[in-house]
Amino acid sequence: MGTIGATLIRAGRRFLSSLPALFGVLVFTFLLMRVLPGDPAVFFASGPSAGKEEIEIVRKQLGLDRSLPEQLGIYLYDVGRGNLGRSMMTGQPVAKDLRQRLPASLELTLTALVIALIAAVPLGVLAALRPNSLLDHGVRLFCSLGVCVPTFVSGLLLIYVFYYLLGLAPDPTGRLDVFAPVPPARTGFLMVDFLLAGDFEGWWAAARQLMLPAFTMALFVIAPLARITRASMLVSLGSDFVRTARSIGLSRWQIVVTYALRNAILPVITIAGIVFSTMLGANVLVEKVFSWPGVASYALDALLVSDYAPVQGFVLLMASIFVVVNLLVDVLYGIADPRATVA
Amino acid sequence: MYPVISRHLISASAVLLSVTLIAPAAYAQSRAETLRYVTAATVNTLDPNIPGSTREAFALSMSSYDRLVSFGRKQLNGKWVFDLDTINGELAESFSVSPDGLKLTFKLRPDAKFHDGSPVTAEDVKWSLDRCVTAPVLGKAQLLTGSMTSADQFKVIDPLTFEVTLPRPDKLALPNLATVYPIILNSKLAKSHATPEDPWALSWLKENEAGSGAYIVETFKPGEQAIAKRNEAWNRGSSDKPASFKRLIIQSVPEAATRANLVERGDADLVIDLQASDVQALEAKGKLKVISTPQYNAVTFISMNNKIPPFDNVNVRRAVAAALPYDDMFKAALFGRGAPLFGASWTDGKPPSGGYPIPQPVKLDLEKARAYLKEAGVPEGFATTFSFNVGQASTAEPMAALVKESLEKIGIKVDIQKLPDAQMSTAINEKKLPFFTEGIVAWLPSTDYFYRNFYTGNQRWNYSSTDNAELEKIAQAARFEPDKAKYEAEGKELNAIHFEQMFQVPLWQPAQDAVMAANLDGYVYQFTRQVDYRNLSRK
Repeated sequence: MGTIGATLIRAGRRFLSSLPALFGVLVFTFLLMRVLPGDPAVFFASGPSAGKEEIEIVRKQLGLDRSLPEQLGIYLYDVGRGNLGRSMMTGQPVAKDLRQRLPASLELTLTALVIALIAAVPLGVLAALRPNSLLDHGVRLFCSLGVCVPTFVSGLLLIYVFYYLLGLAPDPTGRLDVFAPVPPARTGFLMVDFLLAGDFEGWWAAARQLMLPAFTMALFVIAPLARITRASMLVSLGSDFVRTARSIGLSRWQIVVTYALRNAILPVITIAGIVFSTMLGANVLVEKVFSWPGVASYALDALLVSDYAPVQGFVLLMASIFVVVNLLVDVLYGIADPRATVA
Repeated sequence: MYPVISRHLISASAVLLSVTLIAPAAYAQSRAETLRYVTAATVNTLDPNIPGSTREAFALSMSSYDRLVSFGRKQLNGKWVFDLDTINGELAESFSVSPDGLKLTFKLRPDAKFHDGSPVTAEDVKWSLDRCVTAPVLGKAQLLTGSMTSADQFKVIDPLTFEVTLPRPDKLALPNLATVYPIILNSKLAKSHATPEDPWALSWLKENEAGSGAYIVETFKPGEQAIAKRNEAWNRGSSDKPASFKRLIIQSVPEAATRANLVERGDADLVIDLQASDVQALEAKGKLKVISTPQYNAVTFISMNNKIPPFDNVNVRRAVAAALPYDDMFKAALFGRGAPLFGASWTDGKPPSGGYPIPQPVKLDLEKARAYLKEAGVPEGFATTFSFNVGQASTAEPMAALVKESLEKIGIKVDIQKLPDAQMSTAINEKKLPFFTEGIVAWLPSTDYFYRNFYTGNQRWNYSSTDNAELEKIAQAARFEPDKAKYEAEGKELNAIHFEQMFQVPLWQPAQDAVMAANLDGYVYQFTRQVDYRNLSRK
């Protein structure tokens, strides 16, 4: 109980101390967007008949006719009340857009991360058990291939093989077949919503739809996870406690899993946290290729047309997620190694 | 242990079976009655009048709303395209123009109903058109080109008769009412969602639809998809029938290769924005129907800013025009899909027609280009930047490389500049780019309209910053010219000035490639460069 309480207090303090950083991100993104060349008003007033007057209308709508400090003040006030502004691109409030799209990105990223971990940890362990063997080189080759093939290439390749040639995968557009009924939205996570609705057919359809993009992304991040697992397993296998364990004649399985891996897993958790945060933002290409209605492709589209509000909202969201993920990693650390909580 | 596992296995395989066998059968019927249209862009508003609305939004609103009138269709080289000169009634059962051309009178269909069942009246028409010229919407600037600027011009005569008064006869007044903006809204419904700050219900109509059109919008997720169901009561279709498809799915699929896969596998019915290379491959396979129509109301240009040196010198512009590798660019950018606007020969050097655009007598001739440079006083050439839009990179990038290579041969050093869309728009609006490529579209493609909008004034669309008093005078005069022969003569004069001054170089009209299931019928190329879903049916 005491340790849980301490963990919670520490987590709370860590969260509070990250608020100034979030505020900095907020202001910095705001300024950065305005420094970038490209006037959103001109872009959005670009219909076949849009002239100076229309540009002025849009500028007014976006509040760009005011001075910069005034704009910043209004923006901070709005964000404080939970209003992230309106996207010109979709015509929706940014908060609503992000709320609708974030579960899609999270579901995809989490699935990909789980797939990657399931593949990477055993691969890393195997490679560490036989360093510089053929197996080690094989793992290294596989990882290098995964990293050096860009996600849009592997994504298109997977689509070509599994959808176009074999017809095994459903059509690679969005989270669900357009003709299929959608479950009542409770969490926004389709896999969870289908389970809550008791619709297993729907769950399977959504899972099939999720597979190709998740594997595409997983391929890309297996490498760092496997490398870290291998490196820290090597350290751990060469350490005193493993030697002691060996000398007292414990079984190989027990040594590797209970002693070595448990100690080697800490850096893997750290890296997994970082990998998760970066994946969430960096899966733009995967989201594009699979028409996945996630936040990353949303932010990229917005950036291309200088749609300020969605980009600012996205950066703020990413920063917040980063803070939360870091907290989570801390808590997991505490569970994996109880000594860490006091630090 | 074993029995438990096998029970799980059985239930799992039962689920699998039901998914693979039963589910597709249930979908099959709805698929046949549904049109699934995949597109790169997204429907971002249900009201086309909102600044920033996309072409997909225009296409959906063409089907969810009615206008008073609509364009007919005609055949152009064996393909159906919209016909500017045939105006049909849509909500108007009949219409007439007074002999002096100052009054347009519309008789509304007595049986027309909005989606909520209320009848369409002249009051609704008045409110909708008042909104178009009064509210801060896109329709305002469009209707201006048809001399409709004030609510005073619109009058309700009786519940089914509506009248438009014009300050002078204007041949673009009636066609303007067939464009995407003057939609007829259910005024009672819209007004009930208006607020003192928003008297025209702009924000409500952006996300809600209050029309009388062929399709009723069911779900609208910007950036993902819009789904609409057929309005069974709609009888404005061919032979007074409702639209053919029961449902309409408009889905955003950003990746061009995926769009091509979808349509080839038969999962999507129609796509119009594929890469030229994909279209060519699909056409060669012969399984799908490919209708390729030159966008006859659009032109792709290489523009030179006539106010920025050295492009302010006509001979520099002529030199560039003579040094462009037209054929190679056409092949590399469009795979030859479209209508070239180069390589013509004008007998006695005069434009053969007063239309716009017409093929120009330009071709690659480096000797001539060098001579022009010499005459311009820059025989050694100069350095400049050539800009294009990231959004058009698939066609503009190969083109830019060829331009750079060819111009280098006459001493012009070109730095290629690839700009994000918003940045390009801004730079064009501020007239900062010396040398770039762009495309233009006119919904109402008449010669004077093109020249007035794209070659006069300090407005954004005057890409080349043309400032030519004579051209402006003729273009303005042509606007209200009732005599067809005179109008043609004025068009020829404008074309002659354009070629003589070489403000910018028209390259081609890109093809609109509509790739569709072989059993799809009724595709017509539209002024919006989008699909009119109401025309389509499955054989």
